[in-house]
Amino acid sequence: MVISFKQIEEKLKTEAKRLLGESQVSIVLAYGKGYDENHPMPYVARNPSDVDNIVFNEYCNYNLARYLVRYPAGTKIAVAVKAADSRAVIQLIQEEKVKREDLVLLGIPVYGMKNPKTHEIIDGKTTGGLYNPVLYDILLGDEVHGQAIQSPYDVLAAYESMDKEARFAFWKKEFDKCIRCYACRKACPMCYCDPCFIDQTKPKWGDKSPQSHGNLMYHLTRFHHLAGRCIDCGECSRACPVDIPLYLFHKKVAKACEEMFGQAAGMSIEDKPALVNFRVDDSDKFLE
Amino acid sequence: MSFEPKILGIACNWCTYTGADLAGTTRLQYPQNLRVVRVMCSSRINPSFIFRAFQLGADGVLVGGCHPGDCHYNTGNLYARRRLAVTKKILEFSGLESGRFRVEWISASEGNKFAEVVTEFTEQIKKLGPQIKFKISQ
Repeated sequence: MVISFKQIEEKLKTEAKRLLGESQVSIVLAYGKGYDENHPMPYVARNPSDVDNIVFNEYCNYNLARYLVRYPAGTKIAVAVKAADSRAVIQLIQEEKVKREDLVLLGIPVYGMKNPKTHEIIDGKTTGGLYNPVLYDILLGDEVHGQAIQSPYDVLAAYESMDKEARFAFWKKEFDKCIRCYACRKACPMCYCDPCFIDQTKPKWGDKSPQSHGNLMYHLTRFHHLAGRCIDCGECSRACPVDIPLYLFHKKVAKACEEMFGQAAGMSIEDKPALVNFRVDDSDKFLE
Repeated sequence: MSFEPKILGIACNWCTYTGADLAGTTRLQYPQNLRVVRVMCSSRINPSFIFRAFQLGADGVLVGGCHPGDCHYNTGNLYARRRLAVTKKILEFSGLESGRFRVEWISASEGNKFAEVVTEFTEQIKKLGPQIKFKISQ
């Protein structure tokens, strides 16, 4: 079965028009035209007449859950979500940043999304092994079945085979490339702190200029802040202008959290984020 | 000259710090490489403290808290246990020797255990040698 992106686009337009027309929502977050086919942009439709600008193709991999926290509480928002994006929405609901009743989730079951830079298919890296949204109100199209589900952690194999010296050398090389543009922070649906710890001056946690020690501090702390919350959308690594494979570290931490606390991020509204929760019988072994 | 490591100790006020006091008043001998910072609870410890300590030249970091279930604030160390477990993993994944960071539960009556842990940890850090991976070079 081939997913038709054109069909999804049509359905997205119809639903957006209906929701805006019936005043069920005040804005629709979807994708719009960019400067060319390969670079669609996030698009906010506010009137039924805006809807015609919505597009959907295989390069629409931005995580629109990023924009939910920008609107004042109580704004009725319809948002187009793919598999990983719906996990981001669930995680934001868990963290009480958005309310379920304010949202209309337009689920997009999809596979075959492509990276606009490399044109490779990114499903294994970014969908967390999922093709269908975890949570949705309206599903645009039929659920995807029968695709080989990759484990989200398969891509870690090469990294896991490194010993600690090789790992340190690997990350030092990668972090030294960092130009501190903070695109990873801007693209991440879970990075909503204001101010970010790295922007604080009292205390000053790390240097803000792109030097290796400041970069290390920024990235390690960011990995820590996203532990148990990262929903594996891979936006940080795609947003990165110098191609640091941040998703590897995030996945590694997510895997460790899943093993230790038995809970993957953003899978159920009922859960609490792993690090603001505890069990009395958590094992001390993890600290050894 | 033999290598004398710098070790940062972060101790909870109610258990480990009091335990350290007890070790002192009972005149137990332990290495002087540990510099203790007192915090009110092990869950007060921001993971950035630990990253920052390594950057500023600590060779090891030892965190002490109450035994799970005995926290002065009931649940503080239960949160800390999860958080510090993640910190440990992150240090390990980034390539730092995992032996440089240690979490121990030491109660106020365990002066002996405090002295033992510090002795053992100092020996371990001496074996690992100076920490240069995270340290900011001057």
